[in-house]
Amino acid sequence: MADEVRLWSDELARDPSSLAFLPLADTLRRQGQLDLARKVATRGLERHPHNPDAHDQLARIHADQGDLQAAFDEWDMVLRLVPGHVGAIKGMAFIRFQQGRLEEAERLLMQAQGHTEDSDISAAIDTVRRSSGVSTAQVSVADLPSDPHLLFTDILANDQTAMLLDKDGLVLAGAYYSADGRNVAEDVGANLSGVSDEALRATKHLGIGAWRSILFETEAAVVSLSPAPAYGPAAGGLIVVAATPSTPLGLLRRLLDRCIARSTTWLSQTGIGGGA
Amino acid sequence: MSSPFTPVLDALTRQRGVRASLVVSAADGITIDSNLQIGQDGSRVAALAASLYRKARKSAAAAGLGGTGFMQLEAETGRLCAIGGEEIVLVVVADRSANVGLIRVEMLRAAEALA
Repeated sequence: MADEVRLWSDELARDPSSLAFLPLADTLRRQGQLDLARKVATRGLERHPHNPDAHDQLARIHADQGDLQAAFDEWDMVLRLVPGHVGAIKGMAFIRFQQGRLEEAERLLMQAQGHTEDSDISAAIDTVRRSSGVSTAQVSVADLPSDPHLLFTDILANDQTAMLLDKDGLVLAGAYYSADGRNVAEDVGANLSGVSDEALRATKHLGIGAWRSILFETEAAVVSLSPAPAYGPAAGGLIVVAATPSTPLGLLRRLLDRCIARSTTWLSQTGIGGGA
Repeated sequence: MSSPFTPVLDALTRQRGVRASLVVSAADGITIDSNLQIGQDGSRVAALAASLYRKARKSAAAAGLGGTGFMQLEAETGRLCAIGGEEIVLVVVADRSANVGLIRVEMLRAAEALA
């Protein structure tokens, strides 16, 4: 991958007006060098302001950086340049899903499905519908519990637990109860947050894009981690869901989706995330 | 040249979407045996996977969750799976589209065979 970066950089140095900035920015993004990728893409756009692939690339970088609105705006620009651009519509749907605006996400995915036969889109629609169907995950701000420790209580069974951590592993919401009934969320959060740093390092070096989830099975629990919605104090943080070891992994993944949706609602509608 | 691990690694690499399978030293992340597709940097994969798995194990233990079994990292374009013990870690790198359920079953079976 270092060879690819050198190759595209050399070509761009030889001909600054070439489109080599596109694969260069993409490679840097996949390596996790997001600031550098953004600079390359932005400079390329200065020379090619009407290139839809360049706007698409910048949107992906913004999305990876957690700047969801900027990503949405870039994909919106792609659509203006190429009406019906499936990648852009899918990207915008992804952003709306991340923001908890599930109806819009589904509408966009249906729109994308009208342009292509992509099984990924059908799967994405199913995911959005599953999340939408979970009415308890999408509640109005008035229905959210006033105590952040109880944020996920109504969407979890007694033997399941979830918490939202900030980038330092401190608990923003949720709880983690040990077998003897103590809330050990701070301890567990502090320990598990180190795993996400390691994941970031691994995915960056392996060039497999941004990490989306980690799941591991232990003697006492099966645990799933996901990056937290990129709002205010949660940016760079984690959502942790744990359940008894007998919990089917597919169910745990669904619980994680529901907790992400709930966190997004809480962060965006209560003003904690700086959005209201 | 084959090692005692070769049949296990061959079986894992036959799974659809699997790009690499490795047996790695848990302590230092050094490759013991591997079955890699062209283009994979085995030593790097081994070191990173062992490090991630070690971190997950330590974190789980510190959090009072006990020993760690199967672990899966899902990323934008690929997956990293690991399972192991005190001495060795079995690692699989796969495409995002790979059937992780089948890979998990095969890895659990392989881990038992290696124990």
